[in-house]
Amino acid sequence: MTMPQDDIVLDVRNVAKAYGPTVALRDVSMQVRRGEVHALLGENGAGKSTLVKILSGVVEPDSGSITLNGQPYRPRGFTAAQAAGVSTAFQELSLLPNLTVGENLLLPHLPKSLPGIVSKRRVFDAAREILAEYGGSDIDPARIVETLSLAEKQRVEIIRAISRHPSLLILDEPTAALAEPEWLFSLIARLSAEGCAVLYISHRLAEVRRLCGHSTVLRSGASIATVKLTGTRDAEIFHLMVGVVPDGESQRADIRSLQTTPPALRVRDLAGNSLRGVSFDLRQGEVLGLAALEGQGQRELLRMLAGLDPCRGGSIELQGQPVRLKSPGHALRTGMGIGFVPEERKTEGIFLGMTAEANMSLSVLDQLKRFCLVDRSREQSRVAAEARRVDLDERYIPMPLAALSGGNQQKALIGRVLLSGARVLVLFDPTRGVDVGTKQVIHRVIRNFTAAGGSVLIYSTEIPELVKLCDRCLVIYQGRVTGLLDQPQFSESRLVAMATGHSMEAAE
Amino acid sequence: MHAAMGNGAFIISALFIILYTVYAVWQPSALSVSDLTDFFNNTLPLAIAAAGGTFVVLTRGFDLSVAGVISIANVIMATKIGEGPVQALWGLVLVCGIGLLCGAVNGLLVSKIGLQSIASSLGTMIITSGIALVLLDAPGGTVSEFVSYGLMDDIAGIVPITGLIAAALIAIWLVVKRTDIGIAVYAVGADETASTLAGINVVKTRFFAYSIAGALYGLAGYMLSAQTATGNPNAGNPFLLQVFAAIAIGGTSFRGGHGGVVGSMVGAATLMLLQKLLFTAGVSSFYTGLFQGVIMIVAVLIAALSSRFSAAGAR
Repeated sequence: MTMPQDDIVLDVRNVAKAYGPTVALRDVSMQVRRGEVHALLGENGAGKSTLVKILSGVVEPDSGSITLNGQPYRPRGFTAAQAAGVSTAFQELSLLPNLTVGENLLLPHLPKSLPGIVSKRRVFDAAREILAEYGGSDIDPARIVETLSLAEKQRVEIIRAISRHPSLLILDEPTAALAEPEWLFSLIARLSAEGCAVLYISHRLAEVRRLCGHSTVLRSGASIATVKLTGTRDAEIFHLMVGVVPDGESQRADIRSLQTTPPALRVRDLAGNSLRGVSFDLRQGEVLGLAALEGQGQRELLRMLAGLDPCRGGSIELQGQPVRLKSPGHALRTGMGIGFVPEERKTEGIFLGMTAEANMSLSVLDQLKRFCLVDRSREQSRVAAEARRVDLDERYIPMPLAALSGGNQQKALIGRVLLSGARVLVLFDPTRGVDVGTKQVIHRVIRNFTAAGGSVLIYSTEIPELVKLCDRCLVIYQGRVTGLLDQPQFSESRLVAMATGHSMEAAE
Repeated sequence: MHAAMGNGAFIISALFIILYTVYAVWQPSALSVSDLTDFFNNTLPLAIAAAGGTFVVLTRGFDLSVAGVISIANVIMATKIGEGPVQALWGLVLVCGIGLLCGAVNGLLVSKIGLQSIASSLGTMIITSGIALVLLDAPGGTVSEFVSYGLMDDIAGIVPITGLIAAALIAIWLVVKRTDIGIAVYAVGADETASTLAGINVVKTRFFAYSIAGALYGLAGYMLSAQTATGNPNAGNPFLLQVFAAIAIGGTSFRGGHGGVVGSMVGAATLMLLQKLLFTAGVSSFYTGLFQGVIMIVAVLIAALSSRFSAAGAR
């Protein structure tokens, strides 16, 4: 069935873009229709972010043509793109941290009272209306963005994009930090009913299938195919994206062997901030999952275990020895060592200006010393070995980390933690904003780590990931453990029910 | 209260009031109009210069050219400006204009050409200091009496003129802070990329910040001339470090995006008050620097601790 031509909102033909010798896009063509929710799939490095930048007006393509609503589309800058009707919610959030939510929503057209003078009251009133319109009325427009949680920031970023009433809305990994994606899904349904075209970029295939009819797959800078999602199996999509069929099997540890060894980590009645008494054991060789909605205390728990925040009550035992963790460095050096992979790699984990190699060797520099100076050859061989283990291509090792894709940056970060020799890993959403291929690698690394006797506590906002990866799973609600499920009892619906405060029975 | 505790301007104001109270208890004449006028007269040049520097620091930049611009302003006032109100006004326009020009050059170098501000402003500082030396190669010249007596006086024996000028500057700042460009200055200092994506013209904003800083340095030089009544090609040199000290203890972060002019001006007042306290106590002037340094560290420490306190409470 052919669609009428004037139904097409976005028409991209043979777009190419190179940054010097690096070809980001070779040949991309795709179309998005009015009211359609179109997915853009592809690994990190496939060119998705470059395409998003081109469509958002941030960079200009070298060749090819783009038409928006029938008119040639060549915006000179982000503001021009917005004026033309394209609005983007970026993966790396683009809010101004030191301004209020209201100011962020309304910039650059802040309402004035007297000529030139911005009226605070009008800013907040207008912002409140916008927030209420799109389901964000729990966010106070007077709050400084810095003080918001990651999920709240993501919601503001999305609401800001939608509030500009675009004809094309681009959402780049919008659910990465959201614990309740239903809010977004209903917004998207509403927008598409109103005729807005949505370009949806996400690695979560389940979501993509739910929201989108068609998807364009990018690989190595070219649009490989546009597929109708209902008629295409996951394996076929992966094949298009990656070129190989990835390992979908999950091997979990043998439960019997786990019960005989003493716990690697024992937490009793841990309390502080929004944490109200959490107790659990992390067994050696186990992957223990942590499921929770946004803001239920999991952040405080993980930061306490990492040594970032002090415990205000309760105890932590590492291999039977009580410990008081004073800092992440102290946590690394105490007993078998606790290694931490933080929530936001951009601001908390990686050093963008340093090379991948330097990033990875950072926590073990003193082991690499000879006569007080870092032994470069020792550093290089240790890092190279670790990079192989985390599947980080060796050509990336000497490059500055800012030049790597998000997935590779995350691999480097995990490589650093592994290199430190810690036997207990605390992972805060390690596969957030990471492509399918890298996610597989990270899962494999976790599995290998626990097979060798290490223990992992992993928090993820993606319940299917926890179901696939973990031996047991804790659920936290309102600062307390509301359940601990063993592998045979795992199911997505049960975990979600417990995470929202319902009992196990209610999930049946 | 929590939010106030994290506010740098609040802390330095509290510190200033405590110090002034100590001073007033010790020297009851401290609260007299003539003493207050003296204090404002001495403090205003540094306060204005710090206000100018704040605009640049807010955009995450450094502006070292303050020393050179103040020197040029002082030298011009002492050698090229004659008597009477008309000449005084012309002098004001001239030195502020020169400051604005220097600031505009700094702005272009940083925002359009993309040079690092600390390096480019060091260059303009050396150039402007050199120009001051060419205009007047040794201390000398006289500043017109209209300026050096008139501006250092008070109105009706109650309000120091310099106090009024300070109040006017603060009032103007509070207005600018609420304009598009004022908000843009904060935004650019925090995150340049996000600012571009929010529709802010980063180049224009930076250019504005450096230009207005330059104009304010000119004004600072004008007020300095009123106070010293003579010309000195090195007049601006002590300002270089003191301006940054005033900005730091006033609560403006060198990482950009936080702070404000009020804090910097009160910071300047605190530094000068400290000098005065030590002088009155009979401490040798050689120790002044030592004490100022200690106070600076203490003030910055208090600011950091209480912002952490207020942030922790807010969570």
